[in-house]
Amino acid sequence: MATAPTSTTTANGNPSAADWQDRYHHVDQVLDRPGPRTDPSFLAGDEVKAFLRTSCKILVIGAGGLGCEILANLALSGFKDIHVIDMDTIDISNLNRQFLFRQKDVGKPKAIVAAEFIMNRVPGVTVTPYYGKIQDKDDDYYMQFNLIICGLDSVEARRWINATLVNLVDPENPESLKPLIDGGTEGFKGQARVILPTVTSCYECSLDMLNKPTAFPICTIANTPRLPEHCIEWASVLEWPRVHGDKRLDTDDPEHIGWLYKIALARAKEFKIEGVTWSLTQGVVKNIIPAIASTNAIIAAFKIATSSAAYLNNYFMLIGTDGVYSYTFEHEKRDDCPVCGGQALDISISKEWTVDRLIEMLVEKQDIQIKKPSLSTATKQIYFQAPPQLEELTRPNLERKVSDLVENGDHITVTAASLPFNLMVRVTYV
Amino acid sequence: MSTAESQDIEQATSAIGAPDSKTRRYDRQLRLWAASGQHALENSRILVLSSSATATAVLKNLVLPGIGHFTILDSAITTPADAGNNFFLSGLESVGKPRAQEAVQLLCELNESVEGEAVVKDISDLLQTEQGRAYVRSFSLVVAHNLRKDVLDGLSLLLWNDLSNPPLIVVRSAGFLAEFFIQFHEQCVAQPHTDETPPSLRITRPFPALLQWARELDFDKLDPTEHGHVPFVIILVRALDDWRKSHNGAPPSTSADKQAFKAAVREMRRKPDEENFDEAEAQAWRVWQEPAIPRDVEALFALSPLSSPGLAATLPSSKLTPETPNAAFHALLRTLDAFARSDRGPGCLPLSAALPDMRTDTESYVKLQTAYKEWAGIEKAHFKELLGEKFPDIAPLMTADQLDTFVKNAHHIRVLRGTRWGEWDTGAGTLATSLTTYACEAATATHLAFCALSTLLNDNPDGSNVTVESLKTEIRKLVGENVELPDEVDAAVGEIARAPTADMPNVAAFLGGLIAQEAIKVITNQYVPVKGYCVVDLVDSWTSIIGQ
Ligand SMILES: [Zn+2]
Repeated sequence: MATAPTSTTTANGNPSAADWQDRYHHVDQVLDRPGPRTDPSFLAGDEVKAFLRTSCKILVIGAGGLGCEILANLALSGFKDIHVIDMDTIDISNLNRQFLFRQKDVGKPKAIVAAEFIMNRVPGVTVTPYYGKIQDKDDDYYMQFNLIICGLDSVEARRWINATLVNLVDPENPESLKPLIDGGTEGFKGQARVILPTVTSCYECSLDMLNKPTAFPICTIANTPRLPEHCIEWASVLEWPRVHGDKRLDTDDPEHIGWLYKIALARAKEFKIEGVTWSLTQGVVKNIIPAIASTNAIIAAFKIATSSAAYLNNYFMLIGTDGVYSYTFEHEKRDDCPVCGGQALDISISKEWTVDRLIEMLVEKQDIQIKKPSLSTATKQIYFQAPPQLEELTRPNLERKVSDLVENGDHITVTAASLPFNLMVRVTYV
Repeated sequence: MSTAESQDIEQATSAIGAPDSKTRRYDRQLRLWAASGQHALENSRILVLSSSATATAVLKNLVLPGIGHFTILDSAITTPADAGNNFFLSGLESVGKPRAQEAVQLLCELNESVEGEAVVKDISDLLQTEQGRAYVRSFSLVVAHNLRKDVLDGLSLLLWNDLSNPPLIVVRSAGFLAEFFIQFHEQCVAQPHTDETPPSLRITRPFPALLQWARELDFDKLDPTEHGHVPFVIILVRALDDWRKSHNGAPPSTSADKQAFKAAVREMRRKPDEENFDEAEAQAWRVWQEPAIPRDVEALFALSPLSSPGLAATLPSSKLTPETPNAAFHALLRTLDAFARSDRGPGCLPLSAALPDMRTDTESYVKLQTAYKEWAGIEKAHFKELLGEKFPDIAPLMTADQLDTFVKNAHHIRVLRGTRWGEWDTGAGTLATSLTTYACEAATATHLAFCALSTLLNDNPDGSNVTVESLKTEIRKLVGENVELPDEVDAAVGEIARAPTADMPNVAAFLGGLIAQEAIKVITNQYVPVKGYCVVDLVDSWTSIIGQ
């Protein structure tokens, strides 16, 4: 079967010099002819190959567990112009799954190492890395891509890119609608979804599906610890700031973890609580989610498949703990979604509620997930968390009744550092 | 990095100071399968037949978490097409060279502690000699991707013929469709991690220390803080004890009883905001919904160990010998049955020392935890004694960990019995029924399309004879000529005829993930592997299990 490779420049509609005869033998089988369920708008043959291999430009956000898989998949599938953004550097605990990195790469930027690796392994592919935050880039940057695939583990970053892509949509310009493929994994479980901004449900629409992170009441941590986790929280939430003042806790610093571990262990001994370990300490303070290569591979591959076979409509879940169980369903758009719904969020509260009480209620709301919100109306500043002067100026309002400041049926604009958009809330009193 | 060079994982995580580099490297997976699972992985030897894109994708996901050894057995020479779809080949540089060697080199770069070997031979040649067959049988798991039908039939029979042979994972894929099947005799899972109902807290069968605490507690003498911190377990044991005294010893059973019981719990509170009493009411189901032995576990007591392929054995339990497949697990299972029936026992499964968090103060919680731990220790000692009496030959072969794990998870243990590869396909009636069974139509159609494809490729490996019609002709031979083929068959065969030999990179990656997950489950004996055929359709985004 050994045939001498012949380098071709224009075979099969591929103008790239790096493509060799039969390079895409496998992929071409499905690109050359439609299947019985292929969308009629799919035009098999050279045109689709040329689009994929020359003009299509894809952005991969995140070069971690999912990102590595996505990049390798895209490169082998024939995409030639790939961009990748990641702000992290490589840690030793990444090496059990992030297969583009080696021991020698520990400490280097993920985006740069991943891009180099792909370009070395898959000839003819250009991967352009950006080592930094997604928030550094503007609308023009995001406009250049045909598709954006996310391999992020941060809720905040996902909310930002989701809101940015929804805002990018200009009804006059079909090119401004950028499909976003998102998903994540946890142990043997994972999910993937397709978001067509303004058309399908968006990330914000489904925020209430997220598991709320376990938060232990301060009172338990301070007075009645029972679990090793309570001792660890005591060390990180109460003892660290008490002892170290303004020094920031760096959960990636083994010395910091070591200190927390020692303190937590001492507290556990005092209360005769068992089970404080280094590994648990790290798990609790970093909110570590177990991760393996295989689940990432499944979810990443699924994401690519949704862009080449048929668009997933629109949510896929996989549970691999007990056999293999998967489930596909259409997640519905929320009319009152603060990002894509175009309507204000309706809330009704008592006439007696203070501003402070309203803020507490907003923070607890699972479907909007905000910390430290600032509130204003079109004409008034109600309460601002920052800057300090403004905070001081508006602080007396916390004790005032909302109904004294806002008319029934009027809108409040809610902003927060963690919120990549302004949330409009319409207040009615009961 | 060998195990000897690195610290024991448990030790590393409990000692003062940062864990060693091996523990750090594997941190995210140790949280899933712990040191015992990692140890099992590191002792495994995996044979993979083929170095296709799918085969290397499977291996990538096994080398990364750190299996002990893998061998790729493949006589193929790398083609330009291989170099284009396989991430573990060096592009054109690999073309013309043995594919297995090229792939092994790049796979080994993923993890220095894994040993990889390329054997450039044809599996069909190996199966011809006794030596070759013994070699294949010496692995802990065999994975075959798109192996020629006649070779696969011989291999699967060989591995099925002896209970001590390794499991075989058969993978078939074409274009956007795929399926896999695990041929195994028996999988005994002591740690299924399936998040099912928590183990019993023994509220209905309180052990002496628990009952004494609940009975002797004078609720009226407690100060308000203490009253608001009585653990819900104690509240329920007390409430049930009082109930029984006024109901001739019977627990609440009718729906009216249950409401009355909950009302009685509410009555016990002193202030409306005592959260421990809210918790007691919310957990009252434990009083009437906890069977002495979960039904699925009780069913396992009747299971005889395997003695010959595919046959439920007739060996009585006393004949369990160290040579019996999964002897240790069966001995533990028998002992569990004996424990539950023992006059000296609680009449149910042994107590688990794991206590959920609850609204209470530190002192009460630690006291309760200690009581549970002590009693669990007493019952475990009793269990161990029974094990030693009943199975004097097997008991000494067991580690303390093995016993602990079994007793701790006794509420969830699972035993799976597998079938021979291809056995399901011999029953035309079964296949035809499955083809028209609600929610199985498409998966069965896809499975049949793969059977048909294997037959056609056996004669023409290049796929030149694969058409919609030739596939349907083969399917009719399997289900019977008179069976009307549903539309799902057209959807499946059309997709296969479109790309009969395509090993698509992202389908390969998807399968690589799924199959590695299953391999890890089989090797570690943790989590529950698939029984039957797992069918994958990436056109319509589904997976489905048939032929269980
Ligand atoms: Zn939305």
